Amino acid sequence: MRGGAAARVAALLAAGLAAGCALAPAPAWEEPAPPIDTGPVVDAARLHRGELANGLRILVFEDPRLPQLAIGLAARRGAAQEPPARAGLASYTAELMTRGAGGRDALALAKVVDDLGAELDAQAGWDAIHAEVSGLSRDADALFAVLADVVRRPRFDPAEGAKVRQELLAVLEQRKDQAGALAQQALARVVYGEHRFGAPLLGTPEAVAALRAADAAAFHRAVFVPGNAILYATGDVRYEDVRARAEAAFGDWPPAAPPAPPPPPPSPAPAARRVVVVDRPDLAQAQIALGHDGIARTDPERMAVLLLNDVLGGSGLTSRLMERVRKDAGLAYGVYSAFAMRRAPGPFLVGTSTRVSEARRAVDLVLAEIARAAEEPVAPDELRAVQRLNAGGFALALETAADVTEALVDLDVHGLPPDSLDTYRDRVLAVTLDDLRRAAREHLHPERAAIAVVGPAAALVPALEGLGPVEVVRP
Amino acid sequence: MRPGALLLAAALALPLAVPPRAAALDDPAARTRLTVLDNGLRILTLVDRTTPVVSFQSWVQVGSGDEARWTGLAHLFEHMMFRGTQNVPGDLRDRLLRARGARGNAFTSNDVTVYFEDVTEEHLPLVIDLEADRLRHLVISPDVLDTERQVVLEERRMRSEDSPQGRLIEALLALSFLAHPYRTPTIGWASDVAKVDVDACLAFFRAYYVPNNLVISIAGDFDEEAAIARLRERLAGVPRAPAPPRNPTEEPPQRGERRAVVHVPVRAPLVGAAWHAPAAGHPDAYALDALGEILSAGRTSRLHRALVYDGQEAISAYGGYWEMERAGLFYAGAGVRPGVDPARVERSLLEQIERLRETPPSADELEKAKRGLEVALIRGLGTAHALASRNASDLLTYGRIRPLDERLEAIRALTAEDVRRVARAYLRPDGRSVVHVMPGPDAEAAG
Repeated sequence: MRGGAAARVAALLAAGLAAGCALAPAPAWEEPAPPIDTGPVVDAARLHRGELANGLRILVFEDPRLPQLAIGLAARRGAAQEPPARAGLASYTAELMTRGAGGRDALALAKVVDDLGAELDAQAGWDAIHAEVSGLSRDADALFAVLADVVRRPRFDPAEGAKVRQELLAVLEQRKDQAGALAQQALARVVYGEHRFGAPLLGTPEAVAALRAADAAAFHRAVFVPGNAILYATGDVRYEDVRARAEAAFGDWPPAAPPAPPPPPPSPAPAARRVVVVDRPDLAQAQIALGHDGIARTDPERMAVLLLNDVLGGSGLTSRLMERVRKDAGLAYGVYSAFAMRRAPGPFLVGTSTRVSEARRAVDLVLAEIARAAEEPVAPDELRAVQRLNAGGFALALETAADVTEALVDLDVHGLPPDSLDTYRDRVLAVTLDDLRRAAREHLHPERAAIAVVGPAAALVPALEGLGPVEVVRP
Repeated sequence: MRPGALLLAAALALPLAVPPRAAALDDPAARTRLTVLDNGLRILTLVDRTTPVVSFQSWVQVGSGDEARWTGLAHLFEHMMFRGTQNVPGDLRDRLLRARGARGNAFTSNDVTVYFEDVTEEHLPLVIDLEADRLRHLVISPDVLDTERQVVLEERRMRSEDSPQGRLIEALLALSFLAHPYRTPTIGWASDVAKVDVDACLAFFRAYYVPNNLVISIAGDFDEEAAIARLRERLAGVPRAPAPPRNPTEEPPQRGERRAVVHVPVRAPLVGAAWHAPAAGHPDAYALDALGEILSAGRTSRLHRALVYDGQEAISAYGGYWEMERAGLFYAGAGVRPGVDPARVERSLLEQIERLRETPPSADELEKAKRGLEVALIRGLGTAHALASRNASDLLTYGRIRPLDERLEAIRALTAEDVRRVARAYLRPDGRSVVHVMPGPDAEAAG
């Protein structure tokens, strides 16, 4: 459509608005784009780091502009640490930490948080568990006390353990009503099999049904050790104040060794093309997830992979996949690709959804675009465009103190250099076409990509014929 | 915003019993400048040099509530605004903005269509020029319209047809509003989206995308004078148009409960209820917001306690006031735990509503609700984008930007009796609509 659009338009202009234009300076789009600022992005005067004698690291990013405060603690182990038969233990543990701690049972803890208009949340990711409390800075005393209790003195009450287990089981069951979630789960299982990455972050019903509060207590003891954690605070608060409070609340936390890292996922995964259809006869759309093994968060080539992925499907409306699948063919509202970078290599995946009758066409278009990215060199102006996109938009992603803090904590969790935010734009601009070529050769494998499609199997199975061995499963 | 924030903090630190002093607050709204061009275009500017971002937003006062013949036209048209102009054809606009790291998007609601680009300051002139260009020189080709309608039909399948929550909202609106155009989903009915033509799009554009129906709101890190001058240069020459047409229909009073069941093979059924409530700008809005907080803010809220924590019959439960320009709703709902009868969850939900109609909330509950509303106001000041949105939304909805201290005062003045009064006045059993999304009698559950 591009380029020829204006010519093919039969004078369908908005004539009412086209009248009456005075002489004006040339439009800005005729001028070259301004140079990209590559200076530091983190205000060093507001960033403070420290460490307690027991190894607990402290990070404070001060922001007195609004009277708010968020404090949290991240422990560097998450769901990846679970044995597959215990899938869901990290999420179960995190949730249970907020259901009674210190001198307060679940309701008393909820009340102290709610009465302050505050929020308390504990979440497990693949590589870390975060506990965080946020509210008004004038309530700093109460907020710190809540965080210290949740991190160090969770009660793990068996009755609460039963409630949380039932809640998690209900949520896992509800996920089966969401076609997108079903597609991703099916893909993960085909790519990773019995490895922990083969099951959802929240776990499996079988594993969750067997979890008890004592399991959470043991997992918490192993994972929450000071040398393996970082305490962070941001908002209207001073470093010295946080440091003093940390010393008082966490100074006597005894050091211990963190658990050994889990076994790495299989590679290559999958070894050959496989197709799985999750039968949902009621759906109007086929939900498509497609992919294979990817790279680790610390992979030295991650910048090239990031930019390559942006060219392919990671950059919104102007990615190649969006151009082909949405803008040219009108097959989908959205289509994206991503490398899920975890401590161990996570999946590369593409997701989209289209009317059932077009499922095969959409799969073919996606596979063809991955193949083109893998085989043909990226054009120099495409590389420049995604470099400018990443470097130019970087300041936007770090607008708030909470954004900056989250990014810094993520670096800590993965043991990446603490100045990574300040060097980010230079590293983006240093990526070359050769780097992209190498990344494409090594990290895009359409010929062995797994394909998961959720929708009516009766229509989908014949449509997907010839792509590889097809397995049909029920949700 | 930020210099004022410290004063706001000081004001909030007062014990709630002490009357707040409105004059003490340096509200960002007070530093917002409104410029009105001769053609009626309204420009809101708010400079905040403490953020690295400037948010540029165009708020067009047209939504699905204005559609006369083609449902979904306002939203489909929003898509067409990204498909090229005479001067900037095809996807050149996307490419230019992408090369500057801009973050943009658009959305359509019942009342407004909003376009935004968040950028760093040096790119604001480009954003302004591109916006002025598409308002003056938009191209709507039949080919592109055909592609884009397919995209919207996919969006509809994704968000409305294959989403149990989408099915619930669609049914609840159609049930609550018999007459008012809010009864149709913003994304439109599929058959209308499939048939709407270029002429309809152009007529819509000429009627509603006119300077006197548009608010441009800019907030963050930028040069205020230069931005206003550039907008004037680019858009002052566009003539004022006749006042855009509005649908005249008002909703007649509801006489009796309405019920609907939508059959979807879900594992976790959904229950939703809605009651008619005032349109935006009514003084009862604060009490209705407090009612929403008491019902569903946090784990100690009434619905969470009764349905999720104690009752263990729901996965989640919520209630709140939905304020729209021409009518309002109060809604409540729950995600039902698999295996639990949705009728039981409905009974529990409505029992909590009835309790609030009979007995005022406790002093503790009221204070918690007020605190929650205040914290939400402060959280809403955190980004340039949020500031620009607040200014434009307020101007379009209320005709002015409501000062923060006015809102804080109104929140603090609420009494328990106010909450009970609005619950009794609006959440009447014979004025509610109830929808269940659940498997049909003969359908096996999915999978």
